[in-house]
Amino acid sequence: MLKKFLWRRLGSAIVLLLLLTLIIFILETITPGDPVKAYLGANASPADIAAKRHELGLDSPVPVRYLKFLGNLLHGDLGISYRTHRPVTSDLADFLPATAELVAVAFVLAIGLAVLFALSGGLRWRGTGIFRGVMLLAATAPPFLLALGGIVLFYSQLGWLPASGQGADSSSPTGILLLDSLLHGDFAQFGSAFSHLVMPALVLAIAPSVAIGRVLRSSLQATLTADHVRTARAKGLREIAVLRKHVARNAIGPGLSMGGLQLGFMFAGTVVVEQIFSWPGIGNYLAASIPVSDFPAIAAVTLVLGAFYIIVNAAVDILQALADPRLNA
Amino acid sequence: MPDTRTFRSGVLRRAAVLAAVPLLVLAGCSSSSSTTASTSANAAPTGGSLTIGLLGDIGQPPDPDIYYANNGLAIVLNAYEGLVQYQNNIDTVKIAPRLATSWTISKDNTVYTFKLRTGVTFHDGTPFTSAAVKVAFDRRIAVKGGAAYMVQGVKSVATPDAQTAVVTLKEGNAAFLDYLASPFGPKMESPTGLTKNAGTDNAQTYLMTHDLGTGPYELTSAQTGTKYGMTQYAGYWGTKSPFKTINLPVYNDASSIQLAFDKGDVSAIVAALPSSSLPKYNNNPAYGSYLLPTLQSALVTLNPSKSFFAGKPARTAFMQFIDQQKLVTQVLGARSEVATTLYAKGMIPGGADKQNISYDPAVFTAYAKTVPAGTAMVIGYASDNTNAQQMAAIVAAQAQAAGIKATAQGFPTSQVFGWANDPTKGPDAFIDGNNGPDGGNPYMWGHVFWDKSGGINYFLCDDPAVDADLDAAVKSGATALFVKAAQQYSATGCYLNLSYNKDWVVAQKWLAGVAEAHNIGANELDFSLLSIKK
Repeated sequence: MLKKFLWRRLGSAIVLLLLLTLIIFILETITPGDPVKAYLGANASPADIAAKRHELGLDSPVPVRYLKFLGNLLHGDLGISYRTHRPVTSDLADFLPATAELVAVAFVLAIGLAVLFALSGGLRWRGTGIFRGVMLLAATAPPFLLALGGIVLFYSQLGWLPASGQGADSSSPTGILLLDSLLHGDFAQFGSAFSHLVMPALVLAIAPSVAIGRVLRSSLQATLTADHVRTARAKGLREIAVLRKHVARNAIGPGLSMGGLQLGFMFAGTVVVEQIFSWPGIGNYLAASIPVSDFPAIAAVTLVLGAFYIIVNAAVDILQALADPRLNA
Repeated sequence: MPDTRTFRSGVLRRAAVLAAVPLLVLAGCSSSSSTTASTSANAAPTGGSLTIGLLGDIGQPPDPDIYYANNGLAIVLNAYEGLVQYQNNIDTVKIAPRLATSWTISKDNTVYTFKLRTGVTFHDGTPFTSAAVKVAFDRRIAVKGGAAYMVQGVKSVATPDAQTAVVTLKEGNAAFLDYLASPFGPKMESPTGLTKNAGTDNAQTYLMTHDLGTGPYELTSAQTGTKYGMTQYAGYWGTKSPFKTINLPVYNDASSIQLAFDKGDVSAIVAALPSSSLPKYNNNPAYGSYLLPTLQSALVTLNPSKSFFAGKPARTAFMQFIDQQKLVTQVLGARSEVATTLYAKGMIPGGADKQNISYDPAVFTAYAKTVPAGTAMVIGYASDNTNAQQMAAIVAAQAQAAGIKATAQGFPTSQVFGWANDPTKGPDAFIDGNNGPDGGNPYMWGHVFWDKSGGINYFLCDDPAVDADLDAAVKSGATALFVKAAQQYSATGCYLNLSYNKDWVVAQKWLAGVAEAHNIGANELDFSLLSIKK
């Protein structure tokens, strides 16, 4: 059953990604602009531009270019970036780990905040109302405003956190500084990397955490008062068993679904956050590529984001099916 | 049976504690790192490190034969040197020695003989000799970058001895020395290093993250989009600054870089802040603020392929409608002055290239009454240039008052450069907030902006007679012919030199030598000439 589901998912993912590439090509065709200027520089002569356009194959008909793009894609060749002059695969290899690190930390943070947000309604501790109010307020603010506010407060005024970059003095083996510094036992580097992560991760995490938290909260409330939970208790089951077998598995579904959705959105959200914090990830790479119509870079990042979104959603479906076998029936 | 509410509350509390753990960890880490993030007041660095903030990434690899953009020149010009350069700290175009100590030029501008500096080594230890000149020229041709045109006219490079290079051109070119002095001009690269790291792309991959120059600093780290680092070259032949390392962090917006500067984390910002920041820093005794001469201008160009400006009377009337003084005063401020010549300031001796467009809004107001009511006009600007945006908005508002349905519209850079493929897709007018030539020879201005094969003639407004005059003038170097070409082009009504722009450098008070480290063509600083005020 699961195998069939995975094959079905894989098929639809390929169709979706093909559609995505087609849309990108159509957009490139109808968007006015001259990416060769980005490649050669502003003052390049029309003769040099024409020669470079021919060299890059940009003077071929769009269907020919599209088929060539797909052919190269099958060989793992995403072309050369018009801006960085490097193979796009090399650029992605450099930039993707930083984004993965940022999103992973932001997601963990979002889950933590979401659980806290979900539980805060039922707690009688003082201040939970303020916590929820602050979270809701922050979630309604646009990420760029939140980021700039954070920079002004925590970097400029309080001097607690750095405002830009990843905190590395040199490139790390995996590009994931937290991991590399831990593996090397370099705790000063780890602290620096972590401090650079806090603000961008928090900005990226706040809105998703509220979205997940709200779903989780209502799901938990509904499950805790459900008949089957009362029945389980009436049977004399220990509370921990009730929670594990009858509450958590039933309540987690909507939270998982929303978490998957938000994880996909988080990757898209890195475009804004990485730019403001000069985070060396694919969001920053994409933001710099768009104004100069660096099509190979734009297409590659879009494909990566699209593929990730599809994979995350498939993973969520699988997890949901595992958590609640009724969905698999 | 336990009380459901009590149990739930207990479970919730435990879960809340678990969820709070990562937050506490975060808080702990953030507070422990606070000392690294914050710095004391804007005091001079004691560790020999200088931080120059970059607004946006450098955009292209810092390879001198590839790089043809803006702020990355900070790296290229400090890692590499050419044979000549523009003289620092003056507001006129004057060629000065660099790796060549002297030179002679044949009367017909075809043979350039350079005497080269002794005691110079490349960063890989290879001694600099005349052999490097030909290698550098050949590589530039081979990699086909945007500025390859500068050596395409070279017929041969003879090396009678290690310290003499004789460059013979295919035909006379009075601009050749300016090509060599240009920040985008050919730079000397270690022949040994180029061979060793050639790979399959003439060492292009290697030079993305390394350098092979003779300059005062070596490129020691390149993290695209984040930061670049340079280290002082111990074997440098010239002046050495007290700054052993140069950090070049990338900031993606002006407010972030200003916050870092205010906090003292950035030592200087070169030509990156908008004019709206002038009141804060210029004439403020807490900061160093330097307005330095450049070959850059703000320009207005009109699109003869659009119906509104198809006729010369409409174009001429509109140019007279532009209030240069008002735009400079209200938008550009102290970093600009009203342009009175057709070329950049100081390009033509004595200002003989006078711009004869007198401000008279009544001419356009009268013209506007002759066009159908509600006729639309789009005034474009590059969407990343806030000064141009403000100027376009002001001109649009004035045109509206004259009865034209004018709007200001921003366009991304790639679109702006795409108009030359089909000018009918461009706006009616375009305000270029800041643009300039590759070097200080008038040909480099006229060819680029006026010749349709030049590169920045956005709307292909062309006069073949102007192109012919420019081509003749560059061979002979005749100033009168350059002036004639300029006046002829101005008569098309397509072009207005709006203002002479300056490089605005904001620096911490302790930084010395800023003006001395700048020249009219470079738009960046020579870090080796910077120091700390005593």
